[in-house]
Amino acid sequence: MTTNPIQAEKLTRKFGDTVADDAVTFEVRPGETYGLLGPNGAGKTTLVRMLTTLLPPTSGKARVAGYDIVREKGKVRASIGTVSQAETTDENLTVRENLSVHGKMYGLWGRTLSERIERRLTQVGLWDKRKQITKTLSGGMRRRLEIARGVLHSPHILFLDEPTTGLDPQSRRAAWEMLGQLKARDASLAIVLTTHAMDEANYLCDRVAIMDGGRILCEDGPEALKRSLPTGEHVEIETDRTIELRDKESIIALGAVNWRSPAPTSVQFEARPGEGIGRLAAQLVEERGYAIRHLSISPVTLEDVFFAYTGRALREETVA
Amino acid sequence: MTGAAVEAAGRPHGVADRAAKGVSRGPRLALLGILAICQRAYLTLWRQPVLIVSTMLFPVIYLLVLGNALNRQLSNIPLAVVDEAGNSLAAECRRAVLALESGRALVVATFPADREEALDDLRRGRYRGIWVLPYGLSPAGPAPAFIGDNTDRPSYDALQSALSEIWGEATGTRRRSAESARLEAYPYLDYLTYLGPAVVCLAIFMGSMVAGGLQVIEDRMYGYHEGYLVTPVSTGAIVTGHMLAGTLVAGLAGAFVLLAIMLFTPLPMTTPEALGGGLVTVFLTALAITALWFLLFARARKTSVLRGMFGIINVLVFFPSGALYPVESYPKWLRVISDVDPLTYGVSALRDLLLRGAPIRTCYSEWVFLLTFSLACGLLTQVLFRREV
Repeated sequence: MTTNPIQAEKLTRKFGDTVADDAVTFEVRPGETYGLLGPNGAGKTTLVRMLTTLLPPTSGKARVAGYDIVREKGKVRASIGTVSQAETTDENLTVRENLSVHGKMYGLWGRTLSERIERRLTQVGLWDKRKQITKTLSGGMRRRLEIARGVLHSPHILFLDEPTTGLDPQSRRAAWEMLGQLKARDASLAIVLTTHAMDEANYLCDRVAIMDGGRILCEDGPEALKRSLPTGEHVEIETDRTIELRDKESIIALGAVNWRSPAPTSVQFEARPGEGIGRLAAQLVEERGYAIRHLSISPVTLEDVFFAYTGRALREETVA
Repeated sequence: MTGAAVEAAGRPHGVADRAAKGVSRGPRLALLGILAICQRAYLTLWRQPVLIVSTMLFPVIYLLVLGNALNRQLSNIPLAVVDEAGNSLAAECRRAVLALESGRALVVATFPADREEALDDLRRGRYRGIWVLPYGLSPAGPAPAFIGDNTDRPSYDALQSALSEIWGEATGTRRRSAESARLEAYPYLDYLTYLGPAVVCLAIFMGSMVAGGLQVIEDRMYGYHEGYLVTPVSTGAIVTGHMLAGTLVAGLAGAFVLLAIMLFTPLPMTTPEALGGGLVTVFLTALAITALWFLLFARARKTSVLRGMFGIINVLVFFPSGALYPVESYPKWLRVISDVDPLTYGVSALRDLLLRGAPIRTCYSEWVFLLTFSLACGLLTQVLFRREV
């Protein structure tokens, strides 16, 4: 019988009176990239630490690669790869030495180890840099080395904790493409990714869970999440003359909300995503004899979903 | 999915296949884990010149400076001789003092006429001592008086002993008793050579502090440790790996210094047996001290803890070890510390082997203590060491 690589049920972790994760239940399917999105202190990193055996849960249970995260820690550790927020490669070792040290910790040795190192370094484009001391690598290359190290032992599940934080746009894109290639080569590799970069989650994740206050607030594919919002599509129409009241009422009747009219000749409103209300409104305006000077329809982003669920207020960070 | 369903679920497809291919488990995995930690420590040592300077060169400089600063025979001590007697016995005493000045150069003699003036100068630090030859000086009395500056104890003692010897010679009292026989059991040793084994131990102490204490805390501080903690290597293997890695670095530092001081201070015993036994002692001492550092900082998360504690640990481990002064003369409470201090056993074994040329078997008891101490510390550390972050 096969089962999902991650099954968490009512996983809870408290630090004193603070509840970092509150009865979190979720599953990650084989070959899936699963994103945990949330503001600082939402409980993402604590959740990953529990799943990677670095923190025992206060209550609840979870199985990673089919093994219990409390009773079968060794087997869990052998099945997972991790790329943490901190740079955990030794800056004084060469690229190759870092992988050589790490591979041994997974029981890799001799020719098997050499072959794996060559394969992974080639995949992340660092084979030519294998003799370079790690501290001389750029931030992007260092991150790629961390990822190569995370998959060196061919884990079943890869945990990435904010993998592209602090990287420039080119390096971020390169890291994303590299992850895409890794997945293309190994279809059963499941990836759990924590991030607060919406574009990253949108690009990489098959499913996304938005977390806040230690709970999963919603969970679905990025597109489905966007469609689930009651509003979010931003529409702006500017015409050649004053828009009359009855025409405005017709547009509102299409399903426009959060109506604003910054000038007599223009309207701005939000609409339910995926129903083409912006396009319909533009058509209606033209049919009524206006000439459209400016039309802008901005689709819903994952950020809109994020704000819709977590709010826009700044919050205190309470969890280490 | 319910809890029971989670429990009942089988392994995901492909997990077993992945684990099986060319991957070691059990004791072999533990050995590879230990090897990996040692490999990293060894490579890191040679890439950090600061580490080499602090562990290897510092003790050698320490030896040269401390050895030469303390090793000197006393000389040129300013002494005032006030001759109030003016008789032939006083003249003989004055001649003997001048002989002491021109011969051993122990004193620089001045002969002020007035006792009060001499005392004033003593209080001003111009003299370390005044020898007053009083009116009517004779073997039956009155005898000379010595007034010494006892804030400088070594000079005070040296002057007193030299002047009473002169008085004894001048009055013939010394000749009455027969000279006792005096033999040295080993070839002549100066203080610099006596310090040799202590300096080897200092190198071990510094090396293990860096590799067994500082490195482990820094790993934890900067997150390197997470890289180890998420691997399937057991906690016991991680603890053993760190202990052996620290031993490797500290032992190499100790071995380097051992060879270096053999060049600076030709040790009397440099047989292959002494050298071999010395190296075994160096690595066993390194193991014990690293185990101690690791135990003390098994849970520390910030290097400031180590910086704050370094002075105290240095005083409690290095000084009571007998490295600088014989253990036998310590008060009882200090002897207790000395008795459980692994460095005491390292220093003692190295002195036996290198200075006294003792056979290796005399060190067995020290080696057994060092091994037992390391094992006890290692077991305790394993209990204290946290696998979680």
